[in-house]
Amino acid sequence: MTIAVQASGRAERAKRGRRVTSSTLSGYLFLTPWLIGFIGLTAGPILVSLYLSFTDFDLLQDPRWIGAANYVRIATADPKFLSSMKVTFLFVLFAVPLKLAFALAVAMVLNKGIAGLPVYRALFYLPSLLGASVAIAVLWRQLFAGNGLVNQFLALFGIHGPSWISNPDYALSTLVVLSVWQFGSPMIIFLAGLRQIPRDLYEASAIDGAKRWHQFWRITLPLLTPVVFFNAVIQTIEAFKAFTPAFIISEGTGGPIDSTLFYTLYLYQEAFSNFRMGYASALAWVLVVIIALFTAFSFLSARYWVHYDD
Amino acid sequence: MATLRMNRRQILGWGGAAAGIALAGAPRSLLAQDTRIRMFWWGSKERADRTNQVNKLYEAAHQGVSINGETLGWPDYWPRLATQTAGRNAPDVIQMDYRYIVEYARRGALLPLDDFMPSVLKIEDFGKPAIDCGRVEGKLYGINLGNNSTAKVYDAETLQQIGAEEPKWDWSWSQWGDWSLKVAQASKRDGFWGIEDAGGIEPALDCWLRQKGKALYTADGKPGFDVAAMTEWFGFWHELRQKKAIPPADVQALDKQSPETSMLALGHTASIITNSNQLVAHQVLSKTKLKMTMQPSGGPGAKPGQYLKPSMLFSISARSQVAEEAARVINFYVTDPGAGKVLGVERGVPASKTLRDAVAPTLDELSRAMLDYISFITDKVGDLPPSPPKGAGEINFLLKRVNEQVGFGQAAPADAAKQFVDEANSILDRG
Repeated sequence: MTIAVQASGRAERAKRGRRVTSSTLSGYLFLTPWLIGFIGLTAGPILVSLYLSFTDFDLLQDPRWIGAANYVRIATADPKFLSSMKVTFLFVLFAVPLKLAFALAVAMVLNKGIAGLPVYRALFYLPSLLGASVAIAVLWRQLFAGNGLVNQFLALFGIHGPSWISNPDYALSTLVVLSVWQFGSPMIIFLAGLRQIPRDLYEASAIDGAKRWHQFWRITLPLLTPVVFFNAVIQTIEAFKAFTPAFIISEGTGGPIDSTLFYTLYLYQEAFSNFRMGYASALAWVLVVIIALFTAFSFLSARYWVHYDD
Repeated sequence: MATLRMNRRQILGWGGAAAGIALAGAPRSLLAQDTRIRMFWWGSKERADRTNQVNKLYEAAHQGVSINGETLGWPDYWPRLATQTAGRNAPDVIQMDYRYIVEYARRGALLPLDDFMPSVLKIEDFGKPAIDCGRVEGKLYGINLGNNSTAKVYDAETLQQIGAEEPKWDWSWSQWGDWSLKVAQASKRDGFWGIEDAGGIEPALDCWLRQKGKALYTADGKPGFDVAAMTEWFGFWHELRQKKAIPPADVQALDKQSPETSMLALGHTASIITNSNQLVAHQVLSKTKLKMTMQPSGGPGAKPGQYLKPSMLFSISARSQVAEEAARVINFYVTDPGAGKVLGVERGVPASKTLRDAVAPTLDELSRAMLDYISFITDKVGDLPPSPPKGAGEINFLLKRVNEQVGFGQAAPADAAKQFVDEANSILDRG
């Protein structure tokens, strides 16, 4: 009975050919609210910002076309571009590997099947839910100030800690610590990846006399490489885009001495404090290109170190 | 799975009912023909409370007008205003600052107010200087909300407790520096000094330059400082830091130029440089009694370093649909005795003499101190300088950054001075 229905259905569809079916139409209709939002709030502004990057726009008057002058200035005459790029690169270089290392370590501990696993999982995940918020950044600023909690704790051991957030040598480190503290979301993904590794591989290798370190290096890590790759790419992109913590902790200044002037913070300053929206748009597009290059490079290199399970 | 079966009539019926409920819950003003005025200002909660009260007074006295007030802190105010102006959505009544009014006026974002002058804006008794401070290229764009000047606010009570003397209004810069060391030594507390590291504080540099006959910026927007002057300036603070008379760089870096993060509020110094009308805001953050005096003097024979300036102005957006009503609101703020009593001197000392006289008896002790300070310095100040050029805001941050570099030992004062002058010139050239 069903086969006959299927056959007639297929015949009907063949008859109608490529005419838009009513279900396709209603599909698009359901999509319309999201499409409007996407075009109006995301795609549209992105295209406008591309246009603005070729103009001189001070927000109060209409944009004035100046060609590639903004990009030329970025490439040749902007020391703050270089210094903010350096700060951002340093941040990415330290925060992402540390975060992933912590995430993997904690995931492996949790994977041993300890009691109360859901509780621990939730507790470790919580910071990554709250972490990028203004409230946590304000809290962080208090923690690491000259007489904040961290220094009070160190004082118990007789260590007189410096004022972490107002010292150019340490200010960036507080932001790295804040980012690493949010290791919960890559950890959950690692946990899921670990669960997928068949237990009998470990049993077999244990019979062959493999120690725990061997097991990790030869079984766990290779089979986890897809997850590591995913987490690395996502976390790197997020780290390049980091803004709120730097903005709140340095109170918009990127200080002290521009040691926390993230690229996005510099972009914000140029756009809104210095009335140079055109230049800021150019900065934004340069960042897009840099992130795209990074991601492309990651995907190309993935061929050599990521082992997919098929 | 059960499906909901509704025919067209039922859908229309329920839809109509839902719309009716929504309308019934809508505010009355949707249906009434109220004039809605949007007002935007920066400031603390103290200022917000007073402003909202005055708005309610105005609404009570003028039926059919409602004023929607929005407020933000100073750092967030300007980006928001710029964005709203770009989106053709600027508020009707805008609180303006002397530094930005030229930029906004020249770009056509503000409405000229000359036509409202004798009829709606009754501000003749301000006196010419207090009116002209709101003029850009001859047209009036902002109404003076109150005068202020820079000042040194100090913690009189704590000084008394630790047995240090109170600073005098005519001390020189080095006298203040010596006093700061004495306060640090007299205080039992660790990390407490007399004055802050003002090397990165623009009003201090401004005052100091003017005392030498120079200025921050010349009338045509060029810097009034040179490498020699800046070397002396950075060197002065560098020396104080070496003597441990002022906070070290990493303590001073906690100051993000707001009352809550000032050295006084954080309990690191006994005095700070600030604006005279912010005495209230600082006192709210301090458990001990504060007093106010002038910035350090330049010594005998020096020119006056300070000047009276409009602390802020009210302007009207060029695209406002309710310009005349907005002008009436502004007039209410600067001439009505009831409004004046609520506002006090929190936005500065009123420019209108009649309003000053009406308000003076009702002021509390703190506000009285602010009024007396302005009266005290009126004969000791110089002329109002022209409005700063574009890029002055950036140079303000540059000064802080370069001073931090000297403070953290990353640059010697002479090199820092050269770097500062070069970068300041390139900022001003960029336009």
